[in-house]
Amino acid sequence: MADIVKPMKRRKIRGEGAWGYAFIAVALVVFAMFTAYPVVSAFLISLQDYKPLGSTYIGFDNYVNTFKDALFWKALRNTVVYTILTVPVNLILSMIIAILILPLRKKTQSFFKGIYYLPVVASGVALSVVWLWIFDPMEGGILNQLINLLGIENQNWLGSGKTAMFSLVLMSWLSSHGTSIIIYLAGLLGIDETFYEAADLDGANFFHKLWHIVVPSLKPATLFLLVTGVIGSFQVFQNAYLMTGGGPDNATTMVGLLIFNNAFTYFDFGKAAAQSLILAVIIAVISVVQFKYAGKDVEY
Amino acid sequence: MKKKMHVFASVLALTLAATSLTACGSKSGTGTTGTASPAASAGAANSTAKDTITALLPPVSPNYQKNFDQMAKDFNALYPNLTLKIEPASWEDVKQKLDTQVNAGSPPDIAFGGSDGIPKYIQQGLLMDITDSATPDMISDYDKAPLDYMRNGKGLYGFPAYMEVHALGGNKEFLEKAGIDWKKVQQNGWTYDEFRDAIKKGVVTENGKTRYGFVFAVKGVAAVDYLGIMAKNAGMPYAFNNDMKYAYTSKNYLGLLKDLRQLIDDGSMPKELSSVDAGKRWNMFLTGQTMITGKGLAVFENSAKANNAKLTAKDASAVKDSIPVDYVVLPAPTFQGAKASSAAVVDGYLTFRGKKEPTAEHKANVVKAAYFLASGKVAATTNNDLFAAHITKTAKKEAESMKVDRNADNVAAVENMLKNATPARSDIPTDLAAKAIKLETEVIVPKFQGLIAGEVSPQQMYDAVKAAAIQAFGEDGIVKD
Repeated sequence: MADIVKPMKRRKIRGEGAWGYAFIAVALVVFAMFTAYPVVSAFLISLQDYKPLGSTYIGFDNYVNTFKDALFWKALRNTVVYTILTVPVNLILSMIIAILILPLRKKTQSFFKGIYYLPVVASGVALSVVWLWIFDPMEGGILNQLINLLGIENQNWLGSGKTAMFSLVLMSWLSSHGTSIIIYLAGLLGIDETFYEAADLDGANFFHKLWHIVVPSLKPATLFLLVTGVIGSFQVFQNAYLMTGGGPDNATTMVGLLIFNNAFTYFDFGKAAAQSLILAVIIAVISVVQFKYAGKDVEY
Repeated sequence: MKKKMHVFASVLALTLAATSLTACGSKSGTGTTGTASPAASAGAANSTAKDTITALLPPVSPNYQKNFDQMAKDFNALYPNLTLKIEPASWEDVKQKLDTQVNAGSPPDIAFGGSDGIPKYIQQGLLMDITDSATPDMISDYDKAPLDYMRNGKGLYGFPAYMEVHALGGNKEFLEKAGIDWKKVQQNGWTYDEFRDAIKKGVVTENGKTRYGFVFAVKGVAAVDYLGIMAKNAGMPYAFNNDMKYAYTSKNYLGLLKDLRQLIDDGSMPKELSSVDAGKRWNMFLTGQTMITGKGLAVFENSAKANNAKLTAKDASAVKDSIPVDYVVLPAPTFQGAKASSAAVVDGYLTFRGKKEPTAEHKANVVKAAYFLASGKVAATTNNDLFAAHITKTAKKEAESMKVDRNADNVAAVENMLKNATPARSDIPTDLAAKAIKLETEVIVPKFQGLIAGEVSPQQMYDAVKAAAIQAFGEDGIVKD
């Protein structure tokens, strides 16, 4: 056995193999610098009372304090509620829009794809300004003008605990479909026409074809969008930060915002790092569960 | 193998010992540098070695950033061996930039910021005490009250740029229509009951649109301003009383919360107040949707005048639907018989150090630059631009030749309020101050948002603040009355 091992040690990396390692090395260095190192560093910081001039090791106190913190649990509950309300609805809406766009001429398809993708490339801050105008609680607010037509009185959309979370959810429902629509359209274009022809011969109507051909064929895309959607939703920060600041009475404080506040308002980087890693673990567990149960019969 | 382990262990032990000794050595070295003797400081102050001082500066006044090149040139002319390198930043990102640099251990030498941020930066260990480097001439140039705001304990952490009062602003025409003797209010102040009656009279409904008596920006962090300004006039000038007990657990606080809620219930303030931010309330003021607004600063008179001029010139950049407004400075009301204690805001040039202890020479140079920015011509120009009072003898002298178009009644009103300005407290320990800030951000602001939205009662908010205060400061660390 030793004889077999020895020559392998001496083997030199030549030709195509060497180039392969070189290319991997670039990706590995980038991964090590910008992903692995920050994660390891965050873990080490989470065990410290962080100070720029010298931190103190405090063991798992930051984790213990996080689990004892009522605000953390409230933020986690808010994040879960936001995720449950936004991700499935967004997937359904995106799929419907993609199905509606599919039969259109190519140019018209591109036009709608562009329209729906625009919010993805637009600045989040600029979009928030528009949404603040829509949610203006006074007479000038667009949404209030709309509900006034229905005989409903002005609502304090972002300022009331009863409507603040719904306002953020509505914002997500109406402005974050660009990527999902593009992916669903690609999936729809990949479905073989013969499936529809066979279904037509069997006398299937639109809904039969939707349920028995389209939905199963789009399952890989749906799984991908579900997993990335949940990850993105758990990390949501910008909307709450710009629209409500987490209020009123922490009704829209999400974990992402809590982490930001701990780091940049209180300079408690140790606690912020601990909460980031807890969030990462929660996201990882949910993703594994999603792959296990939703992805068991998915073929790529 | 055992022998090898012994050798390895010995080497390791020696390395550790050497490292510890090196650390001790460097510590004693830094200690010497940190507490430079006056003689050494004097020597450092006269050093002619080349040095660069960095400063992170937001647009302190409308024309402030336009003068950066001239400021750097003037500084270099005064100290030919020194270079002032200014990094401009917007108000939106200056705090973020500074905080990131502080936490990375490499802040600029000077940054413009509020004196209320001093305890936070001291806790990070990167704020530089300049007591031993500031010369007696520099110190004596300043009015005592604003300079005291830059102190914490025995340390001095920069120079103040201005001392302003957070007040209210009124529309002269609407005040007079409501029968309010605003000149009397400017001179004598008003109680909560007088204020409540006045703003009730200011509510007018015309063509289905309501003009409110009073609108204060309270969205997000602005909520702290509203409550903080009013709390000072309700017998709680600071979060801690003189016995270092947390003050917002007193019965006065509950009374204040009830009073503030009452103004909304009266209909004098909009029920949607919780969504009104700083921009919105100023827009409401200029478009005639409110008689009085807050918070108000003296410079708002200038903004109102600028908009009036645009309206007269039919300039399209005037605020949409705005009307000509004569801005009247008004004091905040006093609550429950408390003495007036105007909320003073002192911003200035904070001095920082990096991870490495600065040399006495560099420290002296940083002090020269901070003083240059916070006194004389620079301060005179900036404060005139801001309609803020001058707080150094050198700036007052420079300002004599500068013309400012300011309403004399407003100037007198601000001076009156400055006489009652809340004095600085440099005795509050940084750890207590940090806990109070956390309690304010995590409990007071969210609950207050709920209170003005009508979803949290004054009693519920008071109970929540009290419970959090007991958790933070202990049963004996709070005011019980």
